[in-house]
Amino acid sequence: MSVRDLLSPFIAWKHLFREPVSIRDPFNREASERYRGFHQNDVEKCIGCGTCEAICQNGAIDMVIVEGVEGIKTRPGDSGLRPRIDYGRCCWCALCVDVCMTSSLTMSNAYKWVENDPDKFRYIPGVDKKEWDNVKQGYHRPDGHRLNAPERIEMPELEPAERIDSFVEIVGGYSVEQARLEADRCVTCGICVATCPTHMPIPEYISAVRDGDYERGLKLLYDSNPFSQICGKVCTRRCETTCAASHEGDPIAIRWLKRHITEQVPYEKYRDIIGGPLPATGKKIAIIGAGPAGMTAAFDLARKGHEVSVYEARSHAGGMTRYGIPEYRLPFETIQREIDLIVSMGVEMHYDTRVGTDIQMQQLQQDNDAVLLAIGLWLGRGTRIPGADHPHVYKAIDLLRRIRDGEQLEAPKSMVVIGGGNVAMDIARSVARLQKQQQGEINVTLTALEDKAHFLADPVEIKESIEEEINIIDSRGPQECVSDDQGKLVGLRSWKVLSIFDDQHRFAPTYDESDEQLHPGEWIVEAIGQMSDVSLLGDALTEKLEWDRGRLQVDDDGHTSEPWLWAAGDCVKGPDIVSAVATGHSVATSIEAMFEQKEAQNA
Amino acid sequence: MQTLISQLQTRFQLSEFILQRDNLAFVTVTREQLRPLLLHLRDKEGFTHLVLLTAVDWIEDNIFQLTYLLGDRTAGCDIGVRLMLPRDVASMDSIHDLWPTAATYQRELREMFGIDFPESPRVDEDFILEGWTDLPPYRRDFDTLKYSQESYVDRLGRETKDPAAYMKLKLYPDEDNDG
Repeated sequence: MSVRDLLSPFIAWKHLFREPVSIRDPFNREASERYRGFHQNDVEKCIGCGTCEAICQNGAIDMVIVEGVEGIKTRPGDSGLRPRIDYGRCCWCALCVDVCMTSSLTMSNAYKWVENDPDKFRYIPGVDKKEWDNVKQGYHRPDGHRLNAPERIEMPELEPAERIDSFVEIVGGYSVEQARLEADRCVTCGICVATCPTHMPIPEYISAVRDGDYERGLKLLYDSNPFSQICGKVCTRRCETTCAASHEGDPIAIRWLKRHITEQVPYEKYRDIIGGPLPATGKKIAIIGAGPAGMTAAFDLARKGHEVSVYEARSHAGGMTRYGIPEYRLPFETIQREIDLIVSMGVEMHYDTRVGTDIQMQQLQQDNDAVLLAIGLWLGRGTRIPGADHPHVYKAIDLLRRIRDGEQLEAPKSMVVIGGGNVAMDIARSVARLQKQQQGEINVTLTALEDKAHFLADPVEIKESIEEEINIIDSRGPQECVSDDQGKLVGLRSWKVLSIFDDQHRFAPTYDESDEQLHPGEWIVEAIGQMSDVSLLGDALTEKLEWDRGRLQVDDDGHTSEPWLWAAGDCVKGPDIVSAVATGHSVATSIEAMFEQKEAQNA
Repeated sequence: MQTLISQLQTRFQLSEFILQRDNLAFVTVTREQLRPLLLHLRDKEGFTHLVLLTAVDWIEDNIFQLTYLLGDRTAGCDIGVRLMLPRDVASMDSIHDLWPTAATYQRELREMFGIDFPESPRVDEDFILEGWTDLPPYRRDFDTLKYSQESYVDRLGRETKDPAAYMKLKLYPDEDNDG
């Protein structure tokens, strides 16, 4: 036995006088700064996408209806549901916080909660008030820590120098690998579906891309949209504006993924995958106008086995997609493939047949069980400013149609476009291409009432226009189309816009008259909106129908006040392809319902 | 660290090191290289501490990755030695004789990933998952949610709504999704 062994018990005694390392009151101990405690949810930031529920590996989260709470409402981009957490199952892993698409869901560092009733340990954070609601400490997703990539996979596109002297398509399309990476960013919450006018099953077809099951994807597309190839290229993609991923990153490239599916399936297989028409019913429908609305209705009704005849004033089908959208955005071939597919369902096409001239409405009414008016918006609106009656002042829609029709236009040396929407960009960019081809240089000025931040055009269109040397001058009010002494058009005189709308939000622009400019142009093109040419209806029918401020009035199903006549597309809904598809579907459903009703009455 | 890495590379013919920070580097080795390298690092280079032994399931590549993290306490730097194992023959030589604590890590890996370390003390005994009969739970093909739902009963009154279906009900109940 050593001396040390003898002394050691006494050495231990010295600890008696030390500061204790244990905690005197463990029940009131403050949790560490980033402790993962009870959840908090900023319910106004939350969009109810349910991604927290989907990721929870313990099945601890339910998406529940919350009513009567300010800031929570079911609306485009917000389901109105909010997560409720069952702490009997939660394991505090914080995956729900890490994946939250808006960062609304966080965790406080509160960890103490005593109740006798076990059901109390299930609550809706942010709705059921708790004392830790405003606690700052706790777990928040650290900056830069993301479970899904915030940035969109870039779409291969032609560079401005490569594309400006031709009408070759700009966008290249995703490779399989790129599409899968982009599809992987989608959390398949489905918040976007309500925003799509025709409610395409977006999460399902994006899942098909992820699985590489393109035939399933194509079936999903064509069950809801017979213009899927076209929409895959030029849809206004409102869905992307409500995409859950857009809150903290780029929205999913929904349009490009749709395009990708249509590009991956060989066209010869389309018809088999989509399926052919049902047996003939003997019912007859006449459709006036072969644009997206008319052809969608034709597709739906022909597949039901009805006899569908489409009357088209022009030589080709496609409507505004064929004659309004420039080829660099939408090649003819894409349109033709779409139309051929629809026609293959047994639709009879009458091209170069103008109703009102070549055949009368009355005749169509007599020969058919239903008639659909899908005549689009083909009359350009004018500014009616002084000098606008000059022969070199054009309507954008007329020029676009002439270019698309293959007419060899001789481009002016300089041109001014009035308008800030997509049609204005289309004509500016089309004429810029002609100038480049014919003269080697571009001289196009685009003026609009709005400031750039409020342009109606797609931001991508504006970006690409600038890349293509279009001179965009915002906040300019057109005053006069100015001609010289010889009557030659020299340009557009404009004033600076101070405001566009009055207090009651009525259109009443005000100008700073001292800020005057002359934008030089041999041509001036008005691109400020379109209206329908309804002259085909004839006086008697026009008199009988109900109108709403110049627009044909229809009910929710597109039914006019005449029992045999429906209307769909741009002429009732305003210009938008996918909305036209949606109205095409709803008139087809309505016409079908009328047939069924009649059959029930006859039985 | 850079000098050490160069020396190790010459001596053991190792692949590229990944220098994560000034005081942290990773290298991937073969099964034959592992033991001599660990011994050399422990006995000659001052990496006396086995900080941890852990695994990653690279299920897409059919591989388990083992990471032996060694620490030099005096110099304050760490080296991670990585080793790739075929996932379907998940067995590795034990290093409990180099560091006794390795036995505990190896027992944990046996339980959580199903990676065997023959001759490691008590490697087949339950570690924390007493009476576990399912797939090892850290394997990525283990369905945590399914296990949770089968093992634990929901309290009464649980119900949930699908966001897209609920939005249809509230915003466009009369329209067909499929045209």
